[in-house]
Amino acid sequence: MANKVQIDWKEVIRLGLILLAISAVAACLLALTNYVTAGTIEQLNSDINTAARQEVLSKATDFEQVPGDKLAFIGTEIGLENPEELVEAYVGTSGGNTVGYTVKTAPSNGYSGPIEMLTGISTDGVVQAIAILKQNETPGLGVKATLPEFKDQFNGKSALEEVKVVKSKPAADSNEIQAITGATITSKAVADGVNLANQVYQYQTQSK
Amino acid sequence: MNFVKNLTRGIIRENPIFVLLLGMCPTLAVTTSAVNGMGMGLATTAVLIGSNVVISAMRKIIPDNIRIPAFVVIIASFVTIIGMLMKAYLPTLDAALGIFIPLIVVNCIILARAEAFAFSNSVVDSFADGLGMGLGFTLALILLGSIREILGAGSLFGFTLFGPAYEPVLLMILPPGAFLTLGLMIGFINWKSKKKA
Repeated sequence: MANKVQIDWKEVIRLGLILLAISAVAACLLALTNYVTAGTIEQLNSDINTAARQEVLSKATDFEQVPGDKLAFIGTEIGLENPEELVEAYVGTSGGNTVGYTVKTAPSNGYSGPIEMLTGISTDGVVQAIAILKQNETPGLGVKATLPEFKDQFNGKSALEEVKVVKSKPAADSNEIQAITGATITSKAVADGVNLANQVYQYQTQSK
Repeated sequence: MNFVKNLTRGIIRENPIFVLLLGMCPTLAVTTSAVNGMGMGLATTAVLIGSNVVISAMRKIIPDNIRIPAFVVIIASFVTIIGMLMKAYLPTLDAALGIFIPLIVVNCIILARAEAFAFSNSVVDSFADGLGMGLGFTLALILLGSIREILGAGSLFGFTLFGPAYEPVLLMILPPGAFLTLGLMIGFINWKSKKKA
């Protein structure tokens, strides 16, 4: 007689219960760690964002967030196709007077996913500085966008017209920046992020 | 005696990259510079030691038939907990190594050592195995990262080696450079060990 496969249901249930117990303990440990660390992680993230705002708009002493729905409205008004590219915006003040804006953008046309970045614009329509917050660009190539040699090119550019990317050395006083060798896509994406911030700035000042 | 043997085995004779060919995916992906290789290597070493010790300690209570799903649960939880703790309490270290932590979950070297060693050896021996394998992995990654960084970016650990006249071979820090370097190195090691035998 051929051997009939007997399923030992007792054994199946026993193994299932052991696996359940291991997973339950793991889940409890994970939940506990999350409970302990979540607050600290959030605090650290907001500290990093505050420091970045201060860096790109050093004149301001206080920052006030632009309400999300208002920012989303500006996004549709300026014809933004992907609303996720416009993350958040803050009004920078000093002694009660508005001195500029910081706009966090995430241009999605980076070489490997969106580039999260912050642009600081003063009230006289000049880009003060930019900061790259999160990126996945190619090491050795696109990553150079985070270096001062590239990103400081934006400092002092006009926020009232488009910043253009060129491959050769741009003329002085032009609103052009030089692309990173071998990383034109990344360079263009960063410029797109700045230009989006500039558009938000233009809308904000014109609507007043 | 046994401890030292377990420790040194992973570094050369059973090097996870060049001899066991384990964990190729992160190896190819992150070795664009020596610093990246070192970061991935050290983060993996920490997880490897931890998961080896935990699995070795639990080897009596995990039934044989369900050891693989149990390993996966333990390793994934362990990595996630390390990741959260690092983010919260060691933010500078997290900024340097944080991007490698989620990648470690999918590194088969962790599961392979749990299955091949920790599940049938004592906690102390498993600790030594984890440390040795981790160091071997780290050394291999630093070596690959250094070669690719020197040729592809003209620098080592971020310091520029040659004058501005040096034109870096960009290909070496792009994905094809990873396959070329790894393939040639494994070939070289096989050729060397064959000559010895």
